Amino acid sequence: MVVVRLKNVSKRFGKVVAVDDVTLEIKEGEFFTFLGPSGCGKTTTLRIIAGLEYPDKGRIFFDDEDVTDVPPYKRNTGMVFQNYALWPHMTVFENISYGLKIRGYSKHEIKKKVDEVLELVQLKGLENRYPTQLSGGQQQRVALARALVIEPKVLLLDEPLSNLDARLRVEMREELKRLQKELKITTIYVTHDQEEALVISDRIAVMRQGRIMQVGEPDEVYRRPKNLFVATFLGRCSLIEGKVVDVDKDLVTIAIDHIRIKGVLPDKDMKLRKGEEAYAVLKPEDFALRIDDPSKANEFTGTVEWLFFVGPFNQIRLGLGRISILVNVEPWFTPSLKSKVTVYIPYEYVIILPKKEQEVCQET
Amino acid sequence: MNLNIKLIKRELDPLTVTQLIIVGLILGAFLVLPVSFMILRAFFHKGSLSLYYFESLVAGGDFIKTKPETSWIELVRTPQGEILIIGRKGPDFGIFLNTLFVSTMVMIFATTLGVLAAFIMARYEFPGKNFFKVILLIPMLATPFVNAFVLGKVLAVNGLVNYLLYETLKILPFKIWVTGLPALILIQTLSLYPIVYLNAYSSFINIDPSLEEQAENLGAKGLKLFLTITLPLALPGISAGAALVFIFSMEDLGAPIGLSGAFGSGLHEKILSFRIYDEFRKGIGSIEQVHASTYAMAVVMLIIALAIFLLIKKYVTLKSYAMLSKGGRWKPRVRRLGVKGLVPIYVFLIILALSASFPQFGVVVLAFTDWAMSKLPSKVTLEHISALLVNREVFRAILNSLIYSSVATLIMLLVGTSAAYVVARRKIPGRDLIDALSTLPIAIPGIIVAVGYLLFFATYFSQTPLDPFFNPGLLLIFSYSVRRLPFTARTVFAGFQQVHESLEEAALNLGADRAKVFFTIALPLIISNVISGGILSFVYSMNEVSTSITLSNLNPNQGPITFYMSQVIYASAAVGTVSVAAALGVLLIVAQILAISVSNYILKQRVAFLGV
Repeated sequence: MVVVRLKNVSKRFGKVVAVDDVTLEIKEGEFFTFLGPSGCGKTTTLRIIAGLEYPDKGRIFFDDEDVTDVPPYKRNTGMVFQNYALWPHMTVFENISYGLKIRGYSKHEIKKKVDEVLELVQLKGLENRYPTQLSGGQQQRVALARALVIEPKVLLLDEPLSNLDARLRVEMREELKRLQKELKITTIYVTHDQEEALVISDRIAVMRQGRIMQVGEPDEVYRRPKNLFVATFLGRCSLIEGKVVDVDKDLVTIAIDHIRIKGVLPDKDMKLRKGEEAYAVLKPEDFALRIDDPSKANEFTGTVEWLFFVGPFNQIRLGLGRISILVNVEPWFTPSLKSKVTVYIPYEYVIILPKKEQEVCQET
Repeated sequence: MNLNIKLIKRELDPLTVTQLIIVGLILGAFLVLPVSFMILRAFFHKGSLSLYYFESLVAGGDFIKTKPETSWIELVRTPQGEILIIGRKGPDFGIFLNTLFVSTMVMIFATTLGVLAAFIMARYEFPGKNFFKVILLIPMLATPFVNAFVLGKVLAVNGLVNYLLYETLKILPFKIWVTGLPALILIQTLSLYPIVYLNAYSSFINIDPSLEEQAENLGAKGLKLFLTITLPLALPGISAGAALVFIFSMEDLGAPIGLSGAFGSGLHEKILSFRIYDEFRKGIGSIEQVHASTYAMAVVMLIIALAIFLLIKKYVTLKSYAMLSKGGRWKPRVRRLGVKGLVPIYVFLIILALSASFPQFGVVVLAFTDWAMSKLPSKVTLEHISALLVNREVFRAILNSLIYSSVATLIMLLVGTSAAYVVARRKIPGRDLIDALSTLPIAIPGIIVAVGYLLFFATYFSQTPLDPFFNPGLLLIFSYSVRRLPFTARTVFAGFQQVHESLEEAALNLGADRAKVFFTIALPLIISNVISGGILSFVYSMNEVSTSITLSNLNPNQGPITFYMSQVIYASAAVGTVSVAAALGVLLIVAQILAISVSNYILKQRVAFLGV
């Protein structure tokens, strides 16, 4: 159980900046996730923590020990690779006991520890199989067992669920979370799947082009995105661009044509003044057809341009003159095209972001 | 800069350092230094930098003939009838141009035959295809000297061809005798075309059918389709094969010596490789007796070989099209043919297969019959085969070969695995140099290695175990290790490329240092590549000709199989011994078939022959 700290860590491959001045602290026993699109530097960051890559700049600390120059085989981290990296020439038992043998445990101790960890990941009885004789889910558990059995200081997981089918992925992420809480081990997780990150993590760092865009608890990064990238990467949203026409304490109003949108800034340090350009971030699930207190909500009336059946809800593209917004409505509500619909969204759910912000996430 | 040193330091763990030392020591001492020293020697005359030796080569008049002899064909009347002699008086352009002429012609003919055969085999389906698949590769089974001897015997004035076509069937109005450079070109074309054939075949097979289908869809077909899509896509592979054919033809000693055995001296000896070899045969007793123009000739050869190799390597790298279409297995485009198409294909394949595999069959016949002493074989005998064990000299040659090749294989495995691992896994400066040095020996004619060894080790290691005048055997071990290194290095490298690096990183992560990772993860995972590479290198060491037959002249007791064969064929004094050489050829053929079968069927390695 250690605190992992990164201080001004940078790494480039040729001309590509993979990690750009990353500084952060991962707490003891925390489940911490790096989330971002492919190529954002999350896996490189993980590999730097494991010692498999050497940073161009910056230091890495485990508790107070500077491990930057410690080779990977002396760091005592347990890593699960995206492709599991199980050795095909060894049995399950040999794979799992590899790290123990290197640490000089006796035969008896090895047997005991491997038995325990196999129990933990529910793989008893498969000791003598070879990796190719296992299903994807089983292989994944072997890789996890192999990393856990050495009782690492930090558990490093590089998109461990991405090779599993959808159902198994959901099961395994719950199991991972359970194991992590049981073992209270500091865990660093890398994924590009935002839902997975939100469900499994204690805290999330959203990364883009090597930089950390925002760090926070899942609801915080989801509900209070501090920049356009985070806003557009996590979930879908409608972005409306306008000019600030009023600032009243926390509430900021922007206008586009005749439409007024009132919302809040995600951060107390952020300031906007009248006349500045800004974006309003509107998440489709925050809209309602009715509301108890219309005085604290934006009201939009528009024409139904399109209706999507999504399953758990219906999604409407609502035209408001030059702009349009996405709105989720109850599955029984099926307005005909071109009909008028009025929807509400509370002020506090609308995030206003200054325009001098970064570009939108291109993945959505 | 500071940072780079730090990074390099991180890469230089004890394992990597050891591997670098092994590679550097062997390649440095037994390739780079001797060859460089020889080059220097060729450019120094009386203590100063000079082109003296090159000038005297040209001045000699025999190097480049200003008035080349070009009367190729002559009709001679003899008591036995008229003989049409091809290649006895000419062409002769001088040693240097003869070499280029022969290699260029061999390259053109071998490429034409190889590409044609490959296209037929890759794109058409016909009865007997599998049979031809095997038979077309028979020329790959090396039987140095004897195959040329057989061909000489067949094409001689009293040979099989004339016996059949002139005496028996009376189709020809006169006897035909092919000798000199045309004979050389014929023999080398027949034994080297499989290199182009294999390269072209795999290129054709690896073309995504949808690329051709798309062209057909847009209206291209037949020759147009072939010239605009198929050929350009296969060209890198084909040209790599063609370049190797050129280099192999230039360094070949087996064919000229075999022809000398069959016909005696002639124009087929007027090429660079033979001239350098001749220097060794004079029975030199000390390094001073070697004429310095030999070094100049070797340098000329080296320059040509390296230029071709580097050019083709650059071209292939530039033109290696990363196939855009996703991998995966596709059904190759194979067409069935009607009778009208089948006839020319059969005619072509049968003539090619018959003439190309004839020498190998001839070697077997020579070994098991009395053919060496008669016009046609009359009785089967095991006496030549039993000579392999009974004849003390022959047995000693076999033993020498086995010892040299075994030790060389161990060295090659050590060096090849080290080089391949460093190139595949370590990010250090100089990695490209190691990569280049471990594939370069393919392009360096063996005769040059021999000259380099003689000069370098006789100069600096006189009176030591490495003295070529006492111990050519020890030097042969190292020459095999260097010359056949590309086979091991490439097979092993291919293995490392297939192993995902994360398998090794997982072990690092669990606490294994790099040496442990190498021995417990990386090496076990590619062990079948290592064994397969080792077997091939062993067999190709047994076949090695150039350095074996030159260096062994300095101490014939230490000569390997190929040296014994060359002695027998070239001298061809006692006629019976040619059959023993053929028996040795059979031994080599059996060893090669065994090695390829073990690699292919037991180790399941697809034995890739050669590529640049």
